[in-house]
Amino acid sequence: MTKLILAITIVISAFPLYYMIVIASRTNTEATDMPPPLLPGGKLGENIRSVLANPDAHYLTGLTNSLIVAATVTVSVVVISTLAGFAFARLNFKGGKILLLLVLLTMMVPLQQMGIVPLYRLMVNLEWVGSIKAVILPYLLNGFGVFLMTQYTEQAVPNELVEAARVDGASTLRIWWNVILPAVRPGMGVLGINTFMLNWNEFMWPLIVLTPDNPTVQVAINSLNAKYGTDYVLIFSGTLMSILPLIVVFIAFGRQIIGGLMEGAVKA
Amino acid sequence: MISKSRRGRLLAVAAVAALTLGAAACGSDDSSQPAAGGESSAASGPITITLQTFGGGKNFGYKEAVDKWNAEHTDIKIKYDNLTDQFEQVYWPQMIQWLQSGAGAGDVVGIDEGGMGLAKAHPEWWADLGEFGLQNRQSDFAAWKWENGVTADGKLFALGTDVGGMSLCYRRDLFEKAGLPSDRDEVSKLWPTWDDFIAVGKKFQSKVKDTKFVDGTNTLYNVVLVQEAAKNGNVSYFDKDNNLIVDKNPAVKTAYDFAQKISQEGLTAKLRNFTPEWNTGMKKSQFATLGCPSWMLGVVSGDGGAGPDFKGKWDVAAVPGGGGNWGGSWLAVPKQSKHPKEAAQVLDYLTGKDAQVSVFNYAGNMPSNLQAQQDPAVQGAKNEYFNDAPVGDIFAKSASALQPVFLGVKHAQVKNAIESVVSAIDDGSVPYANGWQKLVDDAVKAAG
Amino acid sequence: MSLHVDAGQPTRTPIPPSRRRAHPRSGRSFLTWLDLKAAPYLLISPYYLLFLAFGLFPLGFTLYYSFFDYDLTGTVEWTGLGNYTAMLGDASFWKAVVNTLAMFVIATVPQILLALLLANALNKRMKAQLFVRMGVLLPLVTSVVAVAVVFTQLYGRDWGVINWILSWFGVDPIDWKAERVPSWIAIATMVDWRWTGYNAIIFLAGMQTIPKDLYEAASIDGASRRRQFWQITIPMLRPTMIFVVLNSTIGGLTLFSEPTTFYNGNVHGGTDSQFQTVSMFVFEQGFREFDYGYASAAAWLLFLLILIGSAINFLLIRRIGGNK
Repeated sequence: MTKLILAITIVISAFPLYYMIVIASRTNTEATDMPPPLLPGGKLGENIRSVLANPDAHYLTGLTNSLIVAATVTVSVVVISTLAGFAFARLNFKGGKILLLLVLLTMMVPLQQMGIVPLYRLMVNLEWVGSIKAVILPYLLNGFGVFLMTQYTEQAVPNELVEAARVDGASTLRIWWNVILPAVRPGMGVLGINTFMLNWNEFMWPLIVLTPDNPTVQVAINSLNAKYGTDYVLIFSGTLMSILPLIVVFIAFGRQIIGGLMEGAVKA
Repeated sequence: MISKSRRGRLLAVAAVAALTLGAAACGSDDSSQPAAGGESSAASGPITITLQTFGGGKNFGYKEAVDKWNAEHTDIKIKYDNLTDQFEQVYWPQMIQWLQSGAGAGDVVGIDEGGMGLAKAHPEWWADLGEFGLQNRQSDFAAWKWENGVTADGKLFALGTDVGGMSLCYRRDLFEKAGLPSDRDEVSKLWPTWDDFIAVGKKFQSKVKDTKFVDGTNTLYNVVLVQEAAKNGNVSYFDKDNNLIVDKNPAVKTAYDFAQKISQEGLTAKLRNFTPEWNTGMKKSQFATLGCPSWMLGVVSGDGGAGPDFKGKWDVAAVPGGGGNWGGSWLAVPKQSKHPKEAAQVLDYLTGKDAQVSVFNYAGNMPSNLQAQQDPAVQGAKNEYFNDAPVGDIFAKSASALQPVFLGVKHAQVKNAIESVVSAIDDGSVPYANGWQKLVDDAVKAAG
Repeated sequence: MSLHVDAGQPTRTPIPPSRRRAHPRSGRSFLTWLDLKAAPYLLISPYYLLFLAFGLFPLGFTLYYSFFDYDLTGTVEWTGLGNYTAMLGDASFWKAVVNTLAMFVIATVPQILLALLLANALNKRMKAQLFVRMGVLLPLVTSVVAVAVVFTQLYGRDWGVINWILSWFGVDPIDWKAERVPSWIAIATMVDWRWTGYNAIIFLAGMQTIPKDLYEAASIDGASRRRQFWQITIPMLRPTMIFVVLNSTIGGLTLFSEPTTFYNGNVHGGTDSQFQTVSMFVFEQGFREFDYGYASAAAWLLFLLILIGSAINFLLIRRIGGNK
């Protein structure tokens, strides 16, 4: 029974990806055959070459941009959140409780969706429309990260540890670096993975603020889809190539990613 | 102390960080580049002029004309970028956004007739083509086509590319299969009126089961609308003072009623035009006829449409109800272009006689350029894809007489709302009984 | 874990905190005093600076814009609460609300149950453990738009794999984009496909922290495996559950990518807005109709929706855990 559930799950997980390969390796006529093709054909190489040769397919730019955006956002959010999490969890300061409550409140706000109009007009005024700066900065604000790292620091770092370091004369920043960071690493891992993934898949805001020739990967696939509605082979080869890098990273670091995710999820 | 898994994770983080820094270092140049226009320092390399258009299949039909230009010019290159099939739903709102924000629009952009009202109302969006000597092109165009490219304060901002004209495309092979005549003159005689058209449709449908007679409701709705508009003072959704008259203009109701009727009679394949499903429908022979303004020929024959596999199977007959002018576009240079002078040069070329003749022969879009219309290569043209149909006869002879339908400032927005309803009665999501009221309500909201 | 205080530190003599505070004027202890007092604010300042720029500013302006009527032609007029009153009577707004809630429920309920079931299965000893877990997590590393493109193809009316499979059972072709409930189901499956495995891994992590002796004690008392699952596992998972449910609530109520891609990048969500979500409605009003005021008002109502949704979920989960 257990094995059956898992087997079905894995098949379902893999099927859409498999189907992507099936279509990407066939011709357009075959793609809409009835019954539909269920086995890969022999045209994968040819199709991928034609995608690469297509000047409208900006997803190489898209992939690079997405990587820059997601990685920058992830690193910044993790750093900002560990700093704030440390302060809220282990330092006493006036107004701390209220400020933390404010973080909790903002966690509920989908800021990039709610503030979409003013954010857009801000970007227009800054002349950032079409630049990836516009899709990085708004995402550096992440209440969930601060909340998570506050929780995590409380669990993972005993107060005595901080006090002991303090008695040794360590400055606050040094304590953060030498005591907090090593202890909260799993939490950083789960926050990092979460942030990276959500940012990688962000679509609505980039769709508004970016332009077709400097897209993120989601916008690039969307443009390809809009331009070549019935060229399934081109679209599917493109989407396949767009997810390949992530899958490679996933396979290479799967143990670490899953380990980090699970370790981090427990304590938070 | 450091466990194996932790070291691995550190490695991963380090790798990502290194990648980020590296990518950021070489990516920063990219991101600071202006979005369109392919900026490069004047000294090095040619200037790239981005041409943005919309439409299915061969869309504006510029492929061969652009290839020719690029082969002949080393200093200015054209990058031809057709963004989407859908003007009202995707292209135009996106373009409005780019025009307002000052980034994203190409150096030369296509505008459908439905967007011209709004484009004219925003002179600040556009470069003045008069500055680059394009005033002297006036004699190339019919008065209305020229005047539509001039803003209220007298600035020339756009020149015409194609005009609509009207015909009806049909599949010869499927007509034969249904026991109907397949010769274009005989087919034309089958349907002097739209009632006759429906009667033929029923006959067709009784013989052929897996192909529907028409694509969906939307295409023929638009055909009937322009025909009826011509009978009602050449207005459709707005009167000439920009008041919404959807509920008062009998042309709209007649067109809607016709759309409802073909749907109720079960003649539609329930495919909304300019969607991937519709395009696939052409490749899969899901429908046998299609309302065809001249530019639709390129949509059908292009790779995205029916494509080369159906060459010779399509033909062009007269449209029931006689004539009409649906569609037709203009080209303009947005003010945000970094190279307005070169863009105007490209625009001049693309709307000129030679390029327009090339467009007509490659795609089928009827030139609005009068010299091109008179050209023997256009007047005597046959379209090979459409079984050598004499498209010169069909479109060019009547082109100079075409009259424009007045379209309001928010025509594109209202059209979009209305067409959603016209499609919704076909796919069954809005009951026929509620369709008309919803159409009026949604039009009011979109115009609001 | 050992402390690594830098050896280069000039003195390791601890200074009692009280003394430091008593002599703020001497240079070094002034710095220490400053460090103690100011550092916390310094540490949280990056977050709050960002909050000012990209949180408070947009929210405030969204509220401000929502009192105006914007028009494509460029006119802007004060309308007070006009946008809000208009929206309360706007059937298309309420349609978007119903669509969003319906898709949220259709997606989330099975997703959480499946994730629990899956986590339970994963929690047993097995061969190729890593491989199985990676298989479960695979959907997470794809791109949302890419996957939606594939699913859209699978859900094709005339040429889709799913209708083809259904035809084996005598089901007539379903027009997934035209019929309202089927469109919801189609989109919900896309959401579930992406998130079920992820949530299962999170649940699994939670399950592994539950002390084994709780189960052993229950076994001795003769409780069945099923009973143990409901009586021990579920209540003990409450914190994890809150995390997962809040996450899916925010994600579900702001759903945008899947339904937009399902209709070829068009935010109208079907010919009759069968599957238009509130986020798509905001987008359509703001960036298709260019009515920034109306879009801003809709954004505030979306926020309200999320607050209510989160509160209800939170209470529900507290109740689930409450009867342990």
